[in-house]
Amino acid sequence: MKVPDRKGYFGEFGGKFIPETLSNALLELQEAYSKAKKSREFRKTLSYYLGDYAGRPTPLYFARKLSNKLKLKIYLKREDLLHTGAHKINNTLGQVILARYMGKKRIIAETGAGQHGVAAATAAALFGFKCEVYMGDVDLARQKMNVFRMRTLGAKVIPVASGSRTLKDACNEAIRDWVTNVKNSYYLLGSVVGPHPYPVIVRDFQSVIGRETKVQIIRKEGRLPDYLIACVGGGSNSIGMFHPFFYDKDVKFIGIEAAGLGLNKKHAATLLKGKKGVLHGSKSLILQDSFGQISLAHSIAAGLDYPGVGPEHAYYKSIGRAEYAAVSDKEAMSAFMSLSRVEGIIPALESSHALAYLGKLARKSPNALVVVCLSGRGDKDLEIVRRWAE
Amino acid sequence: MGRIDEKFQELKTAKKKAFITYLTFGFPYISFTKDIILALQNTPVDMIEIGVPFSDPLADGPILQEASKIAISKGADSDKLFSVLNSLKGKISTPLIIMTYYNPVYRFGVDKFLNNAKKADVSGIMVVDLPVEEASYFIRKSRRLNIDTIFFITPQTQNRRIKEIAEASRGFIYYISVAGITGPRSLSLNSIHKNIRYIKKFSKIPVCVGFGIHKRTQVKELFKISDGVIVGSALAKFIKSSYKDKDFFNKLERFIKRLYV
Repeated sequence: MKVPDRKGYFGEFGGKFIPETLSNALLELQEAYSKAKKSREFRKTLSYYLGDYAGRPTPLYFARKLSNKLKLKIYLKREDLLHTGAHKINNTLGQVILARYMGKKRIIAETGAGQHGVAAATAAALFGFKCEVYMGDVDLARQKMNVFRMRTLGAKVIPVASGSRTLKDACNEAIRDWVTNVKNSYYLLGSVVGPHPYPVIVRDFQSVIGRETKVQIIRKEGRLPDYLIACVGGGSNSIGMFHPFFYDKDVKFIGIEAAGLGLNKKHAATLLKGKKGVLHGSKSLILQDSFGQISLAHSIAAGLDYPGVGPEHAYYKSIGRAEYAAVSDKEAMSAFMSLSRVEGIIPALESSHALAYLGKLARKSPNALVVVCLSGRGDKDLEIVRRWAE
Repeated sequence: MGRIDEKFQELKTAKKKAFITYLTFGFPYISFTKDIILALQNTPVDMIEIGVPFSDPLADGPILQEASKIAISKGADSDKLFSVLNSLKGKISTPLIIMTYYNPVYRFGVDKFLNNAKKADVSGIMVVDLPVEEASYFIRKSRRLNIDTIFFITPQTQNRRIKEIAEASRGFIYYISVAGITGPRSLSLNSIHKNIRYIKKFSKIPVCVGFGIHKRTQVKELFKISDGVIVGSALAKFIKSSYKDKDFFNKLERFIKRLYV
């Protein structure tokens, strides 16, 4: 079965649940994207910037010491080495080039931790777009350095004081801006969420992660891995890693969500604990109460702190193609320290969730060949880690 | 014929246009909604839209966002909404229309929500983020219950979709005056006029205009070119500033009369 289908559905998830004002903009985006995808010039331009500007391909690094310690064979896909420090740039370069093709003048983006905001501001600066980034004022306060980075790059950071004042509300506010300025503005969505065709566009731009991994692991090991592990907030780095292996049935996918303070307390484990619903334009699993009010998520990793998840993940879960587990703030923090000490790599707190699962996996499948998506570097989190340690 | 159709017939005979007001259910507190619906029976208001508060109202401006937030904090949910509406049965003459985002309906259960709405004498329903492409089951079910499905057309809607939306609409078509979110603003009457004339080529059902309306002059002009207007944020703003006043319901009457032509 081809997913998504013509209406943007992955099985029963996805679709386009949007105010009427955006219907035209989404059709326009869909048409522009299918044209761009086929255009050799578009692909050439994107591949040039991904290479010379962003630093692709990223290495697939054999983590020898960590492997010995955990009795697994662990490779790390080093998205942390990309320009701006995370996988987000794969998507923002793709979409900003698309926005240029569409003749838009202005980029709108939402951000939680600020990684997507920084990547959006970077791509906007490079291609000469005006860029406005919505950020919940709670996030703004805890990610000051990224706010300064965005402003340095020439973007305007707009604090969002509505709702829970975090990523969910930054999304709402970005959509409100888009509804109002739909003619000249391009909404640069940062994850595999939102109405069709966003989950496909972001997935396609992030799939470079999995495509490279496939070539690299065969070159190094002569075979495909037993497991792919990646963290899941909205789910863009994980879908980017998983999707190219979809038909390789022996490769097992494990997505790691944030268990926060515990699955019975405050968390962001949408796939494990969410119920079917509609948020930000698509049908997926969502943390919500029995009347459909969206709950507040919690994770120490701001990039996982979102009560929804991409529809393609909900689909993978429903057909059993991927397995999902959750890791607490505390476990993630200890994986953060461990990778720093053992391998000399400081991972993002988001990626630390994927790393934290390795211990559990080692008990289940010792000596398995595993690729972990190291989606970002941890510099942005040092202040949070310092405060945690105190 | 549904109650909304009857209302438009009645208005047509009297050579009048529809004056529709929007209220967020549970704002500023739950029992207030019942009182104000009863009070509006003594004003020129022809129909009442009741909004289901939602945690993430992405088509609403600051005024209705705040109303939603307050309503949720007061415990407003769909069960309470239906119990309030049930308690009004037989006591009001204005048709009631539910306006909501899709998630509260979907989570509650589309069937259950619409069955409850029918039992509570709701005449129509509109779902802000449910475009016609996603609405086929919702439309079928509503037809079976004889609840009017009101859809939106905006300045951004492509011509080829206007026909499809008009065909799916019952009661009236909600024309959104501007590309944007709810809240008081100035309106470009020429383009509204042009677009409504275009819609009328495809549909005989009434077209009412909402978003941005807060002044008598706007109401007056829009009455000339449409079948009615919807006032939402302006009323919510008035409620917020005055609901604690002893003579609130007198003031409400004056507020409506100041807007109504």
